[in-house]
Amino acid sequence: MLSVSIKRIKLGEINSERLLLENICFDLEPKKIFTILGKNGSGKSTLIKSLTGLLDKKYYSIDGSVIFEEEDILTLPQEILLQLRKNKIKYVFQDAANSFDPLKPLRYYFDIVNQKDELNSLLEYFFLPKQEELYKLYPYEISGGMAQRVSIVLSLLAHPKLLILDEPTSGIDSAIANLMLLKLKDFVSQGNSVLLVTQDIIFAEKISDKISYLSGGKLAPFYNTSEFFKISEYSDINFLKA
Amino acid sequence: MNILILISLKPETNMNDLLIAENISYSIEQVIKDFKLMTSRRLNEFASEKEILKNISFRVGKGEIMGIAGESGAGKTTLAKVVAGILKPSGGSIKFQSSGNWKKQKASPVQILFQNNGEILNPLRKINEVVEEAITARLLQTEGFKDSKRMGSIISEKEEKIFNAVNFPENLRQRKGFELSGGEQQRAALARILAVEPELLILDEPFSSQDAESQLNFLNLFKRINKEFGTAMICISHNLGILRKLCGKILIMYKGEIIESGSASEVLISPNHPYTKYLIKAEEYSLSSEELKQNFLKKQQGS
Repeated sequence: MLSVSIKRIKLGEINSERLLLENICFDLEPKKIFTILGKNGSGKSTLIKSLTGLLDKKYYSIDGSVIFEEEDILTLPQEILLQLRKNKIKYVFQDAANSFDPLKPLRYYFDIVNQKDELNSLLEYFFLPKQEELYKLYPYEISGGMAQRVSIVLSLLAHPKLLILDEPTSGIDSAIANLMLLKLKDFVSQGNSVLLVTQDIIFAEKISDKISYLSGGKLAPFYNTSEFFKISEYSDINFLKA
Repeated sequence: MNILILISLKPETNMNDLLIAENISYSIEQVIKDFKLMTSRRLNEFASEKEILKNISFRVGKGEIMGIAGESGAGKTTLAKVVAGILKPSGGSIKFQSSGNWKKQKASPVQILFQNNGEILNPLRKINEVVEEAITARLLQTEGFKDSKRMGSIISEKEEKIFNAVNFPENLRQRKGFELSGGEQQRAALARILAVEPELLILDEPFSSQDAESQLNFLNLFKRINKEFGTAMICISHNLGILRKLCGKILIMYKGEIIESGSASEVLISPNHPYTKYLIKAEEYSLSSEELKQNFLKKQQGS
């Protein structure tokens, strides 16, 4: 599905650059949910942004490759990357509410969507208002939890092969997170993959097929979920259980 | 147990009965007699009535930490505002048995730390000035003395103690509100609240939108304040894991009612009410889509 081999990611000017991440190597397989755990500031968001060229080349230098459908994503031109992120690899960012333009009603984001039946069933699944009502709302009129759900609905409608989520449980209540968990499991069962980064260890344990841990700029190998929690090396992740 | 605050929003409850059960004497601080909680849905519409809280009755002892849990929309924040005297309930009474000297005009013995605490700090004032001002106001209220020399030393002593209690480093004290990060703002707001030496501190979702590490830091901070100042606390949160660690007693709210209450270990480990069971399962992310559906449908019918 996606084969990542990044030697290093650096930030800053040539002489005063800072090494952010090093030896990031993993393969994402279909039908599985992969989770990267890590503390605040460990570089989780940088890592997932680097996968589809979302890091600004002015500031970041990436040495490595990300192979998707037999092509190295990191060498693709911007227009193709844009298409890729629109169709095949979708992101759901942490502050979903802020990823909408506050001056446009939500209808704007659904205009590109053709599958009305699918839309309606997804809205119903996520307990969102009916299409006609939802379209009239502006992003500032909906709660953070609602914005998160709308963002996921939009991503699913594009039928991506890979869905990447940044801290999907932050700022939403656990019932909604629960709903999302079930939907994501359903999504991968159709042959797709999910990659998520989170600090929520209970969520990670429940949803993931494989888990890894990012710390000090280095990514541990992915282990099966049950094995991962047996490895004493990562016992310091228990603080995440706060 | 020494009772600090006693709340009953059931009009028919005899407060004496509640107190006799605990066998202590009390003084009436506040009895509220107006009977409607008005809510206006739009400013230009006539206010329409809606029952937001019902059958609420509980007490918080001195130095006790009580948790209130429930999903968003359960009425937790409304209840906090009623307890703090910001909103007046339509019926029932709130009795606060205060040990100190509180004149209502300046400071209240019940203080709230709100969720978006950045907004309650004046962004253009220095933090130490804000805290000093609050300490001064409180001193004038309790002691009433004008000896400025002695007062100066008492103020700086108290200031030091408060800033240390909330882990607020020396180099940040001269900064203005807008120059601080979210976590620093929250600690500054807490320092400002502690300056008036509240007897009851209400924490409204103090852990939301924090990462796990700072959640743990704040949890320890609240415990320390409780120990050091003997401040009773009501902590509102939908995070059951944290309430379990912080609180001795817990109330579970659903649609404006307390549906279960008891010691935190009792309620959160072997719950009786189906809704509490649902909340605990939700926290573990082990609800089925059928269980989720039923709960959402119930909520929609109710509103």
